[in-house]
Amino acid sequence: MRSNRKREPLRFGTVARSLLTCMSIGAIGVGYVWQKNQIYRLGDEIKKREATLLASEKRNTMLAAQLAQLKSPAWLEARCQHYGLGLVAPREAQTIRLLEPGPEWDTRFLPAVRPAPSTKPRQVVSR
Amino acid sequence: MSGWTHKQRALAVVLCLSLSFTALAGRLVDLQVFRRTELAGVAESNREQVVRRQGRRGEIRDCNNNLLANSQSVRIVAADPSITASNAPAIAQKLAPFLKLDLAVLQAKLTGSGKYVRLKTKVDEDTIAQIKALNIRGLVFEDQLLRTYPNGPLASHVLGFVDNEHRGVQGIESVLEQYLQGLAGYEVIERDRKGREIRALRAEGIGPRDGFHVVLTIDQVIQHIAETELDKAMAEFHPSAGVIIVTRPKTGEILAMSSRPTFDPNQPGNAPADSRRNRCVSDVAEPGSTFKIVVASGALNEGTIRLDDRFDCENGAWLYGGRILHDAHPYSVLSVSEILYKSSNIGAAKIAIQRLGAAKLYQYIRNFGFGRKTGIALPGEVSGIAHPLTRWTPLSISRIPMGHEIAATPLQMIMAVNAMANGGRLFKPQIIKSIVDENNVPLLTYPPQQIAQPITPRASILMAAALRKVPAADGTAPKAAVKGYDAAGKTGTAQKIENGQYVRKYYSSFIGYLPAADPEISILVSLDNPTSGSYYGGTVAGPVFRGVAEKVTQYLAIPPQFAEPEEKKVAQL
Repeated sequence: MRSNRKREPLRFGTVARSLLTCMSIGAIGVGYVWQKNQIYRLGDEIKKREATLLASEKRNTMLAAQLAQLKSPAWLEARCQHYGLGLVAPREAQTIRLLEPGPEWDTRFLPAVRPAPSTKPRQVVSR
Repeated sequence: MSGWTHKQRALAVVLCLSLSFTALAGRLVDLQVFRRTELAGVAESNREQVVRRQGRRGEIRDCNNNLLANSQSVRIVAADPSITASNAPAIAQKLAPFLKLDLAVLQAKLTGSGKYVRLKTKVDEDTIAQIKALNIRGLVFEDQLLRTYPNGPLASHVLGFVDNEHRGVQGIESVLEQYLQGLAGYEVIERDRKGREIRALRAEGIGPRDGFHVVLTIDQVIQHIAETELDKAMAEFHPSAGVIIVTRPKTGEILAMSSRPTFDPNQPGNAPADSRRNRCVSDVAEPGSTFKIVVASGALNEGTIRLDDRFDCENGAWLYGGRILHDAHPYSVLSVSEILYKSSNIGAAKIAIQRLGAAKLYQYIRNFGFGRKTGIALPGEVSGIAHPLTRWTPLSISRIPMGHEIAATPLQMIMAVNAMANGGRLFKPQIIKSIVDENNVPLLTYPPQQIAQPITPRASILMAAALRKVPAADGTAPKAAVKGYDAAGKTGTAQKIENGQYVRKYYSSFIGYLPAADPEISILVSLDNPTSGSYYGGTVAGPVFRGVAEKVTQYLAIPPQFAEPEEKKVAQL
């Protein structure tokens, strides 16, 4: 006949296992809740950043239009007149044109730069 | 109940509880099983919401990527008077400086009836942030899209405008609607009790796609030059309308296209419909003497005349077909070259009658693109009028060479002159350079497109030789001469027709290009019925041509052909 279990002393192993199981279940539960919380928090962060991005884009388009207006020829001309700056496009007489190396440059400047060709006949060496 | 035994009372409690739980279970079955679909739908609609997100409309830019049109998100500020009425004076006091509204008007709106009153539209985000900081109860902020044209009326006829639904109505906005209009996206979102989105539970979504950007061949500086000069001409000569077109003859690119009267596309409703019409493509007129170049170039191309061939110009009056044809000034014998730069109607008519013939003349008219649309990517273009040979009268061959009995748009005229300037190659007018995405990667590019070769390069050179004398001292447009540059061009002064009769109203024009030997730009100036002073193309449109040409050559750094003496240069400095 089996002895009454209530009278048996608690075994450490059994208690430890039970505790471990309970703690594991608890930890999983807490972990799940924490993770969910993190997901929601992350969602909120994403939402805030999305809102910031959208606001920045809106502001960007607004500033782009403002910049375009400030750069427009009519606006610049009006400002020049308003402040009496006397700014005008340079006249042709005030323009010095520099030629890029090319056919026109060659014909105008190359003969003066290049040393005169030698009159001595070149020696052809065959190897 | 006092007689009940303990067991009976217990049984009664159990029975009551059982009945209650049975009722609850029944209700649960009803909700969860029988009405499941209906209630799930209601719950879902309370929780979930499909949000439509519209892509931003693409930008329109000039050839140097300067912004000509973009779309901004702005807000509508509205109020709920049922909340704001109690404190209206204080709220009005706070809001008035931000909304730039009259205090009394604002107060009246805030105390009005109903639950919604619009206070102001098109309020920018910065102002909204400042208003929100005031923490006023009863204010509502709604999103609104606003199409902005930062340059105001500049190139308004080319750009067009959008309607309240943000759809293109006119100009490039209308023609390229499919590219400019973005694609809408959607998101299925879940909201919390306060109506805020729970981002973590966002179910699905497809982001919107912004519209593509359109890059035009228009240069905003050249456009500004053209419009400024046109405004000056409008103020000086008081015509009823005016047009300036600047193009690049070698490619057919349009650098500027301006038309007067004009409008501001930011407020298109403020201008009459007539001002919104792009006269460069939608208005036709008899071109007058500028059309002589078609006859002369045709005959030169056929080899039936040479520039030094001489024609008797009958001292200014020639009877042909029972009607007298007049010249503005009497001339005796003129060479072909002189016929062009002195603009003799009789000489041009004799070239057509004696050396070209009606069939060939009609062939050249068609080959230069008259009587059909140029195919420019702008709405409202008309074909002009070039009657087929079968509808010509015996007089037609004497009238068409001087630009009567034919009608052309300013664009058709300048493209024909471009062909003459450009070795005889007729290009399709190009106003769209490319369509790019948000990273400026081109999706579509539009290269220059040659559509015909009405005359040979030889005939083109001969025409240039004759036309470069027009802006000279003995030509019809000495005021069109551009200092330092070898320009070529042709004047036109066409009498207008009203109710089938020629009246004392004129259509004055000048079309020219420079440098004549290797043209970089061509410019058309036309003024409809100038009423102050002269009406001749050379004296009215010629100086406008010079004004535009001087500034554009400077801006594009086109080197002059005639250098000034060094000492004069130094003196100017």
